[in-house]
Amino acid sequence: MFDQVDAYHRPRSIREAVRLLHAGGSRARIVAGGTDVIVQSDPSVRSLVDITQLGLSYIRKAGSTWAIGATTTMAELEDSAPIRGLAGGILARGAAACGSVQLRNMATLGGNLVNASPAADTAVPLLALDASVVLEGATGRRTLPLAEFFSAPGRTVLGKELLVEILVPAPPRGGRWGWSFLKLGRTRSDISLVSVAAGLQLDARGTCKRARIALGAVAPVPLRAAGAEAILAGQKPALARIAQACERVARDAVPISDVRAPAEYRREMARVLAARALRECAQQAGVRL
Amino acid sequence: MKKLTIRLTVNAESKEWSIAPGDLLLDVLRREGYFGVKRGCEKGECGACTVLVDGKPIDSCLMFAAQADGREVLTIEGLAHGGALDPLQEAFLDHGAVQCGYCTPGMILNAKALLEKNPNPSEREVRETLTGNFCRCTGYVKPVEAVLAAAKAYRRAR
Amino acid sequence: MSTHVVGQNLRKVDGVKLVTGGAAFTDDIHLPGLLYGKILPSPHAHARIVRIDASRARALAGVHAVLTYKDVPRVPHTTAGQAWPEPSPYDTYLLDSKVRFVGDRVAAVAAETRAIAEKALGLIEVEYDVLPAVLDMEQAMAAGAPVIHDEPDSTGIHDRQRNIAGYILREIGNVEEGFRACDLVIEREFRTGRQQHCPLEPHISIAWLDADARLAIRTSTQVPYHARRQCAMILQIPVSRIHVVKPRIGGGFGGKQEMLLEDIAGALALATGRPVKIEYTREEEFYMARTRHPQILRMKMGAKRDGTIVASQLTVLATTGAYGSHSTTVQGNTGSKVLPMYRAGHMRFECHVVYTNTPVAGAFRGYGCPQGFFAQESVVDELAHELKMDPLEFRRRNAIRLGDIDRLSAQLGEGREGLPRVIRSCGLYQCLDRGAAAIGWAGKRQARPRRGRLKRGVGVACTMQGSGIAGIDWASAFLKMNEDGSFYLQAGASDVGGGADTVLAQIAAETLGVTLDKIVITSGDTDITPFDVGAYASSTTIISGGAVRKAAEKVRAQVLEVAARMLDAAPESLTGCANAVSAPGGKSVTMTDIAMQAMYKDKLQIMDGASHYNTDSPPPFSVTFAEVEVDTETGQVRVVHLVSAVDPGTAINPMQAEGQVEGAVAQGLGYALTEELLLDELGRPRNASFLDYKMFTAKDMPKVTTILAETDEPLGPYGAKSISEVPINGPAPAIANAIYHAVGIRIRKLPIRPEDVLRALRGAGC
Repeated sequence: MFDQVDAYHRPRSIREAVRLLHAGGSRARIVAGGTDVIVQSDPSVRSLVDITQLGLSYIRKAGSTWAIGATTTMAELEDSAPIRGLAGGILARGAAACGSVQLRNMATLGGNLVNASPAADTAVPLLALDASVVLEGATGRRTLPLAEFFSAPGRTVLGKELLVEILVPAPPRGGRWGWSFLKLGRTRSDISLVSVAAGLQLDARGTCKRARIALGAVAPVPLRAAGAEAILAGQKPALARIAQACERVARDAVPISDVRAPAEYRREMARVLAARALRECAQQAGVRL
Repeated sequence: MKKLTIRLTVNAESKEWSIAPGDLLLDVLRREGYFGVKRGCEKGECGACTVLVDGKPIDSCLMFAAQADGREVLTIEGLAHGGALDPLQEAFLDHGAVQCGYCTPGMILNAKALLEKNPNPSEREVRETLTGNFCRCTGYVKPVEAVLAAAKAYRRAR
Repeated sequence: MSTHVVGQNLRKVDGVKLVTGGAAFTDDIHLPGLLYGKILPSPHAHARIVRIDASRARALAGVHAVLTYKDVPRVPHTTAGQAWPEPSPYDTYLLDSKVRFVGDRVAAVAAETRAIAEKALGLIEVEYDVLPAVLDMEQAMAAGAPVIHDEPDSTGIHDRQRNIAGYILREIGNVEEGFRACDLVIEREFRTGRQQHCPLEPHISIAWLDADARLAIRTSTQVPYHARRQCAMILQIPVSRIHVVKPRIGGGFGGKQEMLLEDIAGALALATGRPVKIEYTREEEFYMARTRHPQILRMKMGAKRDGTIVASQLTVLATTGAYGSHSTTVQGNTGSKVLPMYRAGHMRFECHVVYTNTPVAGAFRGYGCPQGFFAQESVVDELAHELKMDPLEFRRRNAIRLGDIDRLSAQLGEGREGLPRVIRSCGLYQCLDRGAAAIGWAGKRQARPRRGRLKRGVGVACTMQGSGIAGIDWASAFLKMNEDGSFYLQAGASDVGGGADTVLAQIAAETLGVTLDKIVITSGDTDITPFDVGAYASSTTIISGGAVRKAAEKVRAQVLEVAARMLDAAPESLTGCANAVSAPGGKSVTMTDIAMQAMYKDKLQIMDGASHYNTDSPPPFSVTFAEVEVDTETGQVRVVHLVSAVDPGTAINPMQAEGQVEGAVAQGLGYALTEELLLDELGRPRNASFLDYKMFTAKDMPKVTTILAETDEPLGPYGAKSISEVPINGPAPAIANAIYHAVGIRIRKLPIRPEDVLRALRGAGC
């Protein structure tokens, strides 16, 4: 499959990795877990750049922000106590939803994001958490919101750069947060045909201060449902209001039909799942609906 | 074709292999005679190629052999201890969890890693683990029984 | 009769090899000089090859052969693994100048490495005259549809101008009269999808010329003997110059009841003089191997108000894909094994099997029954409901019984006139009772509907199958004794993973009076083992086992003859088991003693063989109960509990028998809810991967309860019938019926997808 590959590099520094990326041009591939690169089986690949020796496997706190190294595996995220405790564990659950035990031991958070599937189960919770990505190229580092990272199905704004770190700010303090991550698949370990990550911050009077709703598999990229969020912000999360927000979710979704599901079913499930997720958030935040 | 040398441990034996840079671990292991590592889909879906790398189950069809440099690999051939079958192997036989046997090596290794990490798994946890090993013969009923029985056997032995 | 080995849950005889990763499967060998073979698949659903030029491919370094239709003999044949003369059309060619589905063979290469072979495929220049294709089975017979098999040398096709590979019409009594006499008649249409076997080991064959220049083929097959015969015919070499070996097989389920890669591997081995391996990738396995036959079924059933079924009629349109392998026989089963489940005095079965430019359908566990029972059991459920009868009661009232004679089977053998089937063992009613208890039928049928979005329901389906093909399936076995009191059993039978070797060894051990470890079995090697049709039609335990029993009885007689002399007693007076023989009075000799006496004193090799077939096909019965939970907001159907109660006759190895049930149930669940190979408008596969074609995994499986309701079948060794297919027939209709009980809608297509349920619920105003 990769019989034309003539070099397997294991750079010791990010600078060297970036240099190898430049040198290899379009025929170089970054290998972290290797899972997507191998599955894609692109016969034009000539050099592999293994970035697992760059010290990018970590989960640490810097102030109130969690910094996750790009080569942290799904299994490490799933098992990490702090990640499980963060925001109702939605990121841990997203990581746990990726494939099988075997896959999660190899697949990395960075790899999952760079693969840029609109259904990526880590991207959806990360979007709901207002995460950012840190990219490093020949001209240095830049940080951008995850929402600006994805450009099209399977495409990101990454140039000749490495995704090195994912920053997840702790949810803003005050009141109570409730979180939910739900997905639907044809079987229990399928790529999501629709997924939702949601968070509701309620103040002492039970009014919604902030609403976060992110969706997967209903648009070319993972999506924040800003319109729906605006419907909830400043309001009490009553069932009728939630329903109204979810109608907006359904209207803003632009799903496609594929082997997993027809578009209309996806649109309808976006509405249903978002409603379930928001009800779960409200309940966790102490509101009885 | 530029070759690479990898040094690794396979079933507690030191190995030094000459590989092509793009070689996959599955292909190299089978080339070196580890026929217990099976080829089922080459896309990391079915788990027939599962081996343990540093104690963790991975799909060897989705790992470059170069990534195994410096690591410890366990294949099914390395599980039995000097002629005595591992309790998992015994349990699979006793519970009728082996039919065609093609998924069996990968399944047993995956279960082995689970039991090392979690000596008293629930049925749900066993099923979650075995989701990474497709079996078209058993419907997973007896394999799940066998893993739970082996877990008991390990706990008794401790 | 009490038995010592039969009926015991003994470990599989090949088990240790399998749990330790022993080199047991086709690919588990290193052959010096092995070349890698690869097939160039057609990108078009229907086309003529106007020009094919392999010169650039042949010139590539490392390529040893490229074969096109110009390089090989043109011998019409069927790839179906069936007894000769095969009832399937002879419409297939090793390589042809016409391609009839996306994935059809265009050419084949053999090269030093996989990479070179793949590169060589790209260097074969092909100019196609793309023809209009017909993908839809309803359009295939229409006037103006492209003729898929217009070649004059194909035979056995019912009406090639209309793309009809096969046509079946059978009637018992007069259904028109029958329906007129009914108080209630229901007629419904059903559609079933294209399921793929997904054996974990894809098809693989390795061929080479051995030291005697005979063609050796090591292959993952259910039918080594048919493969040998077919390769001899296609490659035009004598049967005696071919040696087929079947090692351990990583699953078949009917997909390997086919001579699929052996011929092309053989042709490449002959062309290169080197060993050649062809193995399908998982993607190729999905669309270049075989699938289940998709069908459109119209089921009509009529009953009297008192609940007696009077007439039943099944009209089927099926597609066999681009080639007719198993075309009439699978569909024949849809009639012959399904309609006689109920004692209607009038039955009619009519079926057209058409060609379409789609992946080829073939044998798949259940062999036409899953489709037929989906239709029949759904209509029976509807009839019961209309008559306000409990579905179980309705079935008890009408189902086939002990002593009945099934005359429909008489009309539908393996493509020719069959033999009437007498029911000599029937555990159906125990299955109904025990299964109902296990699922909690009475309570759950009465239960008030839950409030809220999750609704539960229970459903049932009664099904049967056959055990071997009457008058056609046959087997043979040979036994010889060794010094240590052990026996080598040579059986032509093919263990494809279900444990046939173990079951046959248990039968031999029981009959010979030894323990299981005293039997060493070799199976499926055309040089060493005597003939067996192969592993299909649920024939191995009853037919191959029948041959083993007969052979073992003959050998036992020889053993007793020697023992009688040693013990100075009459052979009829001797008894014994567990490796020894005793005379009245207490004197005994061990099997080892007997062997040593025979071999070194009497100079006698104790050995004998036998052949066996049945003139009937006793049905195993299976009653499936399903409890489902329907999420009325998403349409998702979760199976909460599935009970499969089966009458296999005697279970030779109950643990292995249960394993067969559970595996069949898992495939039935996938058939019901998730599995379907999809094609685009150009006939190309859309989901040829495990990512996109979903089977039930470990965490999808519901709670499964397996019940063996054993009976004693006079035609089977120690009372055995069969078990490997029948449990796959029930899950789909049981689930459909359970959905009706839960939410009052009937889905009449498979797979039942959430969007189908949701659409029906919305349509029904839920």
